[in-house]
Amino acid sequence: MSAGTPPLSAPPPKPQVRALNCPKCGAGITLRAFGQAETVVCESCRCILDAKDPNLAILQQFEIKTSDVQPLIPLGTRGKLRGTDYEVIGFERRHSTLEGITYPWHEYVLFNPYKGFRYLSEYNGHWNDISICKELPMVGGGMLSGTSASPNYLGEVYAHFQTSDANTDFVLGEFPWQVRVGERAVVTDYVHPPRVLSSEKMDKEVTWSVGEYMYGREIWDTFKLPGSAPEAEGVYENQPSPVTTNVKGIWAIFILFAILLAGLMMGFDFTARKEQVFEQTYHWERATALGESSFVTDVFELKGGPSTVQVKSWAPVSNEWLYLNYALINQDTGRAWDFGREISYYSGYDSDGSWSEGSRNDTVVIPSVPSGHYYLRIEPEVDPAVRAISYSVQLTRDVPVFGIYGIAVVALLLPPLLISFRWYTFERSRWSESDHPPMQISGLNVNSEDDD
Amino acid sequence: MFRKFYLLFGLLTLGTVAFGQYRGWSLDTIDQVKNVPKSVRDNPGSYRSVYSSYHHYTGGK
Amino acid sequence: MTQPAANCPNCGAKIVFRWSSSVQTVCEYCKSILVRTDVDLKKVGQVADLPPDGSPIQLNTEGLYRGKSFVVVGRIVYEYDQGAWNEWHAMMNDGTSAWLSDAQQEYAVSFPSKGPHLPASTNIDVGQQFTWDGQRYTVSVITPAHYRGVEGELPFQYWDKTDVTFIDLRSETGKFATLDYSDPEPALYLGEFVEFEQLKLKNLRSFEGW
Repeated sequence: MSAGTPPLSAPPPKPQVRALNCPKCGAGITLRAFGQAETVVCESCRCILDAKDPNLAILQQFEIKTSDVQPLIPLGTRGKLRGTDYEVIGFERRHSTLEGITYPWHEYVLFNPYKGFRYLSEYNGHWNDISICKELPMVGGGMLSGTSASPNYLGEVYAHFQTSDANTDFVLGEFPWQVRVGERAVVTDYVHPPRVLSSEKMDKEVTWSVGEYMYGREIWDTFKLPGSAPEAEGVYENQPSPVTTNVKGIWAIFILFAILLAGLMMGFDFTARKEQVFEQTYHWERATALGESSFVTDVFELKGGPSTVQVKSWAPVSNEWLYLNYALINQDTGRAWDFGREISYYSGYDSDGSWSEGSRNDTVVIPSVPSGHYYLRIEPEVDPAVRAISYSVQLTRDVPVFGIYGIAVVALLLPPLLISFRWYTFERSRWSESDHPPMQISGLNVNSEDDD
Repeated sequence: MFRKFYLLFGLLTLGTVAFGQYRGWSLDTIDQVKNVPKSVRDNPGSYRSVYSSYHHYTGGK
Repeated sequence: MTQPAANCPNCGAKIVFRWSSSVQTVCEYCKSILVRTDVDLKKVGQVADLPPDGSPIQLNTEGLYRGKSFVVVGRIVYEYDQGAWNEWHAMMNDGTSAWLSDAQQEYAVSFPSKGPHLPASTNIDVGQQFTWDGQRYTVSVITPAHYRGVEGELPFQYWDKTDVTFIDLRSETGKFATLDYSDPEPALYLGEFVEFEQLKLKNLRSFEGW
């Protein structure tokens, strides 16, 4: 080192948060973005200043103070998003107008000196974590946006949800662009829940951004805010569905079960014995019937493991009834199955034509009857109007019971129906807010024709 | 998660159906009565052979 | 790698070139722009104070790109109608030159490339497509900019440029290209966008409160 070398000039100063005064009203202005913000809003008189100008030139000012909107996350709050700390440095309220109704929402500008800018949006309690796209989404053959386009971004295909205007009506803090109250952009949202792809066209420039849905409580946890987040109203465009299971997959499993059930049914039907073990026809006459008309049949054998016994009763009744008290009794164990069956049939003519009620047949299935030797005890009770009637009784061993399959089908249908219903009502709610609302009366179609 | 439950539920349902068909279940409700008397003589108040004689020693010493 | 030492012709301070092929450097003390000739250093201009900027990168920041480590040795600052950006000159560990651009924390690494006959800037429109190195690029923005300042070592002579045109192109796979019309012959740089974390940067600037 030769003599006379001037001392090394100081290294570049560490970037500092700068405090300045508003040229219009003198209030204090804090610049937190280390020279990266384009504009800054005076908290006091709400005029928009040039953040890059050491004198803070006034870019937009207002005679009357614009209405007060309080950001839910105060400016200066820091929170860790995706592993990086960000500070809230800016806030704006925008609105779109549709059929005369104004829909306001809020956007927050987040900053990290190493990672740059990020944004949060909030609408009716629904939050989104947004960043500018580094890669351009692939839209059809070019970079155009339209209601029929389905852009592809990072391997996901997005569906057009809505195209609307976005008007800025309130600003606070610092912004990395030349924000003005009254500026207008055309915003098109494409969704692939939980993400949303937005194209924002302001003047001639198009900016693409991608957002990911966040719940209010996640925001409150991230920024350690007091109290609790405002309730989310309705279903938001990219809100993740509570139904995370694949609905189609569940129906596929149902089909599988239905096939297996059909297989079981055919299998048991094929292997059932269906053996007729008893058949007899009786004649009853009031004249010869004694005080107690019960009698027992001959003994018959029921074979095989415990299985069903079908009892079929038949009588040619016509506007009369016959009641048969049955008992199937095991000759050896004394175990009995006691039941009564009514056979009645009525018919006639009236103003609507002919009618009929009842049946000449009756079938009942006795469950789980063990093998053994059995006899029937029968005691008929007859309609007083009847003088004589014949009836027949037939017993069949081991018949399949089809009603159980019916119950099983209903049981198997319940879970897929429930989950489909839940999915359907949620998606319907989601799309009812879009440019493609579902029709009022619809089958399982979620979207109607596009309305332009 | 739901998928697993549904698979389990379905298998249980099918298993129950198969078991029921095998064991002869039916949908009708039938009363069961135990110990139907085999004959008129088989009743609580009927004659018992033990009534026929003494059952203690009646002979002499 | 030789590190020839010399003295600043303006103020006499010691000048060290970290990169043997550097053509130009800036004296840290008197801010003179010095160009290296065969024999000695020649002062060709002066750098005004660089505007305060928020780039987290500074001279001597180290990082990693595609497995190769690098050191930031120089910088060119450009300004355009919406602000400024930095082109940091990075010296890769194999001696090659790369450019790390930092525009509002959007980072990209690019390398000078030899393209086929490159068109004049007046013949190019937004949306036009070119294919270089088997990759298709679409013109996304044409930026008239002007040189604002330099710092550190550069692989070519660069100072006092008036308005220059930059044409940025993007591909659908995160790659980007720049046509630089600073000189009569357009220069092509091919590269890709990178995330801050990918570069594993060390020796960054520290910011108050962060």
